[in-house]
Amino acid sequence: MENRTKKLPFRRYFSITRAGILEMAMFRSSRVIDFVGNMVYMIVVYFLWRAIYASTHTVSVNGMTFIQTLIYLTLAGAIFSTLNNYLVWKMGHDIQSGQISLFFTKPMDFYLREFFYSLGNVATQLVLTFIPTFLVVSILSGWALPMGVNLLIFLPAIFMSLVISFSIDFIVGTICLYSQSIWGINMMKEVIILLLSGATIPLAFFPEAFRNVLMFLPFQAIYNVPLMVLVSNTYTWIDYARALGVQAFWMVILVAGARLFFRSSSRVITVNGG
Amino acid sequence: MGAVIELENITKVFRVLNRHAGLRGTFTDLFSRDYKNLVAVDHVSMSIEEGEMVGYLGPNGAGKSTTIKIMTGILEPTEGKLLVNGRVPYANRTLNAQNIGVVFGQRSQLWWSLPVIESFRILKEMYCIPDKVYKNNMEMFDELVGVSELYNKPVRQMSLGQRTLCDILASFLHDPSVVFLDEPTIGLDVSMKSKIRELISVLNREKKTTVVLTTHDMGDVEALCRRIMIIDHGKLIYDNNIQQLKQFFGSYRTLKILSAGNVSFSEADLAKYGRQLLALCPETRNVVFGSDEEWLTVLVPEDEISLIKVLDHMQTLIPFKDVRIEEITTESVIRKIYEGNCDAKPTLEA
Repeated sequence: MENRTKKLPFRRYFSITRAGILEMAMFRSSRVIDFVGNMVYMIVVYFLWRAIYASTHTVSVNGMTFIQTLIYLTLAGAIFSTLNNYLVWKMGHDIQSGQISLFFTKPMDFYLREFFYSLGNVATQLVLTFIPTFLVVSILSGWALPMGVNLLIFLPAIFMSLVISFSIDFIVGTICLYSQSIWGINMMKEVIILLLSGATIPLAFFPEAFRNVLMFLPFQAIYNVPLMVLVSNTYTWIDYARALGVQAFWMVILVAGARLFFRSSSRVITVNGG
Repeated sequence: MGAVIELENITKVFRVLNRHAGLRGTFTDLFSRDYKNLVAVDHVSMSIEEGEMVGYLGPNGAGKSTTIKIMTGILEPTEGKLLVNGRVPYANRTLNAQNIGVVFGQRSQLWWSLPVIESFRILKEMYCIPDKVYKNNMEMFDELVGVSELYNKPVRQMSLGQRTLCDILASFLHDPSVVFLDEPTIGLDVSMKSKIRELISVLNREKKTTVVLTTHDMGDVEALCRRIMIIDHGKLIYDNNIQQLKQFFGSYRTLKILSAGNVSFSEADLAKYGRQLLALCPETRNVVFGSDEEWLTVLVPEDEISLIKVLDHMQTLIPFKDVRIEEITTESVIRKIYEGNCDAKPTLEA
């Protein structure tokens, strides 16, 4: 009995990650469709941006060539389907149905539990959707992507992207405790992130003043930073360090914010009922 | 043997918004400060010993689930003191969670799309159950209900009964000292109900686990519990053993008759049937006649006269179109308690 009351080890959260992987892999056809969806998106991006570049009569626009833009946006799409974990929907649903009270009867921290579950989802998506898309893009662009240290730096960068985007989702999900609207709030979040992070239009194409403002917001740390790490030919060690530093900064702030917000909000449940 | 659960004057008051109907009403509710207080649990005190199996009864909305939520640490009481395993549940939620098991009949803690064995494996990790304990428990579960053929079935493909069975096993897996079962047999057929009752009773006996069972099925309680608590409108109105309760109405059943001819029964009709039945079988004076819409109801005290005998006699008095036999419901138990003459608190020796 005694050994039951002490603090449980951290590794138990990995069982949740395992479940996240299993659940993702369970729906095989979904993974194929995600990949096909990314390919269709690439075709759309190809024709749209070819027209844009054709109208400018220059090789590069805002310092990015057509091929670089194509690679950037296709991979942004792939990162989107990798990081997209429906957390807001899940939390909103758990809150509305009262299922969330079940999690309170488990010896686990709710934030960590959801995070490690997402980690499993993302790891699966990374292997089954992102890497195939990455390979196809590399081949079609005639191996225009740099293949060196950038691939290694990309791994911690995409991990921090996950933590940042997860924490934003978690904060938005927590708002569902108050708002009761899931769809509207999720839509708002999605539009803001996709536009301000550079996932739909590379940040290089934004007016400079606006871009400078965006650099001080956390959203670009989700898409722009890891993508630039991956596609840029000119990044130096200092650039890599700065990229990871910016991500680490936002990661710390958003994790703390998400956890504090949820802690104070869970009083809504313990006081007013699930 | 100490008390595992102790509640002292626990009160829970919810502040709820006075909601208005319609789109406009819903919108104005966003800014409304029009709250009212709802007392869900009203000064409830109880003490539950180790290894006890307690039935916690009450009609819908009586405060059963709220009490359970307070004991499991989901809710914080507005007033009062409570200890579960010597700890205050809402203040030490994670620690408390390690020593309790919970099943909410309407919800599942199992992983929906995964084979059920994965849920058990996750629970093993989550509670850090030692290999040996896990293995022994899984063997015991298989022996009891033969679940091993279900292991590879995804939970979403299970029937409600199979899922409930697995949910109950999951709540016992980490050898908790208390298990809370909130309406575990809801929506199940008779054979599954009895299978689940059997399982709960064996687990309680073998593992010495304290079980708190909420239900509004009197059958669950009769089959499982020696001690019963009844809550109504947030107040604990009965806390005693089941024999005490049964003395008063356990032996009653209601016979409902739909007549082929007459469809409405006046007071005079009812009195007439009473006299006629008494003439046929003078040994009972306590058969009560009543009417429920077009049905004639006959409350039969079975320790005085068998239901079949009454049915037999009634057949000579009225032409039957349909007959039903109903067990006594929680609602009528509560009505009886309010009517008095039932000893609601334990006497000293109990």
